[in-house]
Amino acid sequence: MEWWIWPIALFAITFLMGIVAVLAGVGGGVLFVPIVSAFFPFHLDFVRAAGLMIALTSALSAAPTLLANGLASLRLALPLALVGSVTSVVGALVGLALPTDVVQIALGLIILAIALLMWRAGRADHPAVARPDALGAALGMHGIYHDPALGREVRWQVHRTPAALFVFALIGLLAGMFGLGAGWANVPALNLLMGAPLKLAVGTSGFVLSVVDTSAAWVYLNRGAMLPMIVVPSLIGVILGAKIGARLLPITPTHVVKKIVLSVLVLAGGRALLKGFGI
Amino acid sequence: MEQHVYARWLDIGTRIGFAVLVATFGVYVFGLLEPLVPLQDLPRLWTLPADRYVAATGAPTGWGWLGFLGRGDYLNLLGVALLATITIVCYARILPLLPRVQAVLAAIQIAILLGAAFL
Repeated sequence: MEWWIWPIALFAITFLMGIVAVLAGVGGGVLFVPIVSAFFPFHLDFVRAAGLMIALTSALSAAPTLLANGLASLRLALPLALVGSVTSVVGALVGLALPTDVVQIALGLIILAIALLMWRAGRADHPAVARPDALGAALGMHGIYHDPALGREVRWQVHRTPAALFVFALIGLLAGMFGLGAGWANVPALNLLMGAPLKLAVGTSGFVLSVVDTSAAWVYLNRGAMLPMIVVPSLIGVILGAKIGARLLPITPTHVVKKIVLSVLVLAGGRALLKGFGI
Repeated sequence: MEQHVYARWLDIGTRIGFAVLVATFGVYVFGLLEPLVPLQDLPRLWTLPADRYVAATGAPTGWGWLGFLGRGDYLNLLGVALLATITIVCYARILPLLPRVQAVLAAIQIAILLGAAFL
């Protein structure tokens, strides 16, 4: 097959992914790696590197507005991003060193687990945090943001910081190893575990992602795993698709889209498992 | 205060990085600069693991790509590297604005990101 068919196909599929990702409220990276590794001929190393760049660029693009509006908190993100970025480097190094079939099987299991998490995980708009823990207070993890929907200032603080640091270490490891982005895990960890308000959790998740994925991206770049012919058409496709998705959001039944995304993830996760077992 | 400064620098840096990435990709696909790896060879090579791809093509690793900026494919890594550098620059910019505890965390973060960049 001619070489130029693949970047065009990649652009088309990532354009659709960008639309669906916005409608389903997931990151582009979490769809990109399982789908492209399952149905395109590229080696998993290049797909993971491109997945990281998609997650990184999406996070970098969204972070300025979220930070400026106070919907992402730098003080909340600093310690979590620090832990996650160390382990994402480890994850990237381990992922590149392990045999491909082992990574493929692990990817399949992780994707199926993500689908389960997305299906089952609850959300709490404003979780109750009676008392901040000592570490969170010492690290200055509290603040106020303006919620335009409520029309008032929302005061927030967090608890269970030591457990959260452990969870973010794990998330960083998975993000670096599989190039998946990590919004699927960051948001529940910030919201349900630490007790950050949902809007702040979503905004801060994107910021944490921009730091964690930066460190892993360097590892893939230094190992020669960034192929521009895979990275750039995918990035442009996802970003343009996300713009269309944002326009379609008000008129689309998002619960239907979420069910479709879950089905696709289960399919792609199953395919990754089969590939890993050489089937 | 520090959030707004970070946001402003990040916004400018991301726009520059993305513009460079798209422009250099145009140079690559329209053949304005000859690539290190011929386009028609890619379908045979992108099925290989990264280390075997590097061995088969003589592609640079580490910061070696800086010596290949005259090649259409490796010119693209300039945009990738810019996007991967922005966070380091933003952290460095807000370092003097942060309270002591956060400044220490930010300084360690910069060290980690620089470590990853030179690993």
